[in-house]
Amino acid sequence: MIQFIVKKLVSGFAALLGVVVLVFFLFNVIPVDPARLTMGQRADVASVEAVRKDLGLDKPPVTRFLYYLNDLSPLSFYKDSPEAAEKYGYSKLFSVGSGNYLVMKTPYLGFSYQDRRKVSDILITALPKTILLGIIAITFASIVGIFLGVIAAIRQFSFLDNSILVTSILGISQPSYFSGIVLALIFGDLLADYTGLNYTGNLYELNDYGDEVLVLKNLILPAIALGIRPISIFVQLTRSSVLDVLSQDYVRTAKAKGLSYYVTLFKHVLRNALNPVITAISGWFASILAGSYFIEYIFNYKGLGYETIKALESFNFPVVMGSVLFTASLFILVNIFVDILYGLLDPRISLKA
Amino acid sequence: MDNKILLEVKNLETHFKTEEGLVKAVNDVSFDLYRGETIGIVGESGSGKSVTSLSIMRLIPDPPGKIVGGQLIYHGKDKAVDLVKIDEEEMRNFRGNEIAMIFQEPMTSLNPVFTCGDQVMEAITLHQKKSKEEARQLTLDLFEKVELPTPERILTAYPHQLSGGQKQRVMIAMAMSCNPDILIADEPTTALDVTVQKTILQLMEDLKKKIDASIIFITHDLGVIAEIADRVIVMYRGNIVEQGSVLEIFRNPKHPYTKGLLACRPPLGKRLSKLPTVADFMSEDDDGNMIEIDASVEEMIQKVIIKPEETKARHKKLYDQTPVLEVKNLRTWFPSKKNFFGKVTDWVKAVDDVSFDVYPGETLGLVGESGCGKTTLGRTILRLAPARDGEVLFKGRDILTLAKADMMELRKEMQIIFQDPYSSLNPRITIGNAIMEPMQVHGVLGNDNERKERVVELLETVSLHGHHFNRYPHEFSGGQRQRICIARALALNPKFIICDESVSALDVSVQAQVLNLLIDLREQFQFTYIFISHDLSVVKFMSDRMVVMKSGKIEEMGDADEIYNSPERAYTQKLISAIPKGELSDIEARAARNNAQSGS
Repeated sequence: MIQFIVKKLVSGFAALLGVVVLVFFLFNVIPVDPARLTMGQRADVASVEAVRKDLGLDKPPVTRFLYYLNDLSPLSFYKDSPEAAEKYGYSKLFSVGSGNYLVMKTPYLGFSYQDRRKVSDILITALPKTILLGIIAITFASIVGIFLGVIAAIRQFSFLDNSILVTSILGISQPSYFSGIVLALIFGDLLADYTGLNYTGNLYELNDYGDEVLVLKNLILPAIALGIRPISIFVQLTRSSVLDVLSQDYVRTAKAKGLSYYVTLFKHVLRNALNPVITAISGWFASILAGSYFIEYIFNYKGLGYETIKALESFNFPVVMGSVLFTASLFILVNIFVDILYGLLDPRISLKA
Repeated sequence: MDNKILLEVKNLETHFKTEEGLVKAVNDVSFDLYRGETIGIVGESGSGKSVTSLSIMRLIPDPPGKIVGGQLIYHGKDKAVDLVKIDEEEMRNFRGNEIAMIFQEPMTSLNPVFTCGDQVMEAITLHQKKSKEEARQLTLDLFEKVELPTPERILTAYPHQLSGGQKQRVMIAMAMSCNPDILIADEPTTALDVTVQKTILQLMEDLKKKIDASIIFITHDLGVIAEIADRVIVMYRGNIVEQGSVLEIFRNPKHPYTKGLLACRPPLGKRLSKLPTVADFMSEDDDGNMIEIDASVEEMIQKVIIKPEETKARHKKLYDQTPVLEVKNLRTWFPSKKNFFGKVTDWVKAVDDVSFDVYPGETLGLVGESGCGKTTLGRTILRLAPARDGEVLFKGRDILTLAKADMMELRKEMQIIFQDPYSSLNPRITIGNAIMEPMQVHGVLGNDNERKERVVELLETVSLHGHHFNRYPHEFSGGQRQRICIARALALNPKFIICDESVSALDVSVQAQVLNLLIDLREQFQFTYIFISHDLSVVKFMSDRMVVMKSGKIEEMGDADEIYNSPERAYTQKLISAIPKGELSDIEARAARNNAQSGS
């Protein structure tokens, strides 16, 4: 099992390295001058040149890439100085001569061109909001999806089954930014007097006294909008999976033992039928974390996706690159987790490397 | 056996509503089951024997099925109940408790995500007031009773960690857990090797005496019936066509269908040119009425017997030729363990240093238990599995080192017919196109019109009709599908065919038809066969020479009759003694033994 996890981590690392290469060179062929962006339109040539030197933009791309890798790596080499220590926040391990040290640090993603905040700080403030939204959306989607899926399966071909199926096809067909806008319009605007919900809103809002307060109700509409497509998928997956398991020989065996209908259904059928659904849920959770860009933007919910789109609009590449790498790492971790989960849920799958 | 009736089945009618209309799966079936006896129900697939047993359990899937008439009177400890009339809630108290069932497929009949112990304990705690610890102890005892090795380990093992025979023992333990009065066994040994089958049958016989239960044993094979049943019910198309004691049925079968079933089993002592089939004893006119052909089983067999001299002459002619296929020191190993860097540290030696020759026109039988490597050997010869080393010379050329283009050429000459006719045909391709496909791939004949004509010819060769061309696989029965697979193998005019368990999934009566077809084709086109099967009686019937395999190695090789008559190795002897022979003398001996026991 440990060998299995190590192998997965190694291959995950390789994938991440690929993403780094791709991200770096993609953002370096775009004809935008970061130095100009940092300093603004009215800066003089000399100070733009200075920033360019500071960002290392005067060096060839390969050298810049190596610097970039060095910045990302938790183990890296730097020439020790108070400014560098401040910039990277490292702790020195040992000297490698001429003032250079091997240091340990959290990956350095650069700073925002806009407000010169550290990218990692921006991401870390935004991330919990996105994770909270993701967890709520996926929990909501799983409960509703599995429930409807089971109902549809045990009432196969009934009116209820057909209605659930048709609705779920509608749910799959609509993109989340569409349902997001419609939901916001209906429940956040037209019916706002009854629902008390806001058209848009962040997790923390300023109240009349200028204090930041937690506004949990602002999670409701984005979570539903994000959950609609996964619900539809879970419904169909659960339905076909339960139907498949219901026709298995071991379900007949359970009935032949004299077990009641509900024991058979909940113990013998669901335990088998939910395996594929649970893996789908984990996969969708990763997608939601990475894919709530539109929804966050529509609802003005200041999570990872919101920050990324804002950054894209203003060519704020360090934030975009950092966010892409961040999401890629999340994806890889969730996938490793799903692989392990597979083995735990189904005793037939062994976690041997 | 005393004379108390335990279960009366009276005029049972179970119907299924299908798209083709109403199917009377069980039609006016009546029989009595006495305490302590074993009734065998025999018939081919679709005869209604399984539906009868599921009706008794009230486990008919509804819709589409329903018990529409009749009574199932169960004489319980204190009073008699009609199982058809009681509601579902009451019925559950009988299931698993008074009437238990063992199913055909041990591989799929246990829930894969629960341990074997849990699944047996569940049945115990459901019907008996037992604590978890008591149930555990009881399960351990049961595992010991069904002679499972290391009961402690099996208690916590998942089904996939056990062999087929072991799983069936767990199923039996589960069925016995509440000391049922009636044990219904639906083809419990059909999916198992003969050697395992023998031990399971023995076990059921012993347990029946221990817990004083009655058994309803369902099978398509009269040979198995002869080993275990006291009385026999023969079912055909939803009706009982004959019933009587096992001795009566074997001594003097009355219904032509019973005669057909008795005659179509490959006999072990004799060599036949072909097998008698049910069709030799009865046929149907256009209105579906049965026409009986008056002949006894003995007469039919006498007609097709081959004299030893004829066999000798055939063999002399065969073995004077040079071999068409030479297998030399062939090894096929699969990696079973790898270290961190992917280097293989342990191997499964599926085929280990195997050498033999095959002569043109002969049939070489390959027999052994599951896992002995016979299937892998067949696949390695066709390069469908990778060989580790060794040589496979076909007409002097080493198949294993041939270039891709040459191999493609060779595939036309060598074909394989697989085990499962249900899954080896694509359900979305019409059978005509399925047969035509290999011809298109290899560019046989000029255009599709010519190919179509050839397909029609082929369909007729395997006793199907040209108008079947545009039908889909699901419209055919198992036997017909296997004929389609044979037709597909013939499409490239091969000379060399490997039959990998090609009749194992079929009923005995259908098996006889397919075997006869393979023999006819051999005579007609001078085919060379490698015939792979776990069933020694079938292999012996088909083969000139026989290879017995065990754990990847050849155990014994030689003339099929000689091996059967005087097997040298203990393993071969074990295989032969495990075959249910269905000989009258054995049944008489068993009946005499039983009488002596009940008398004392």
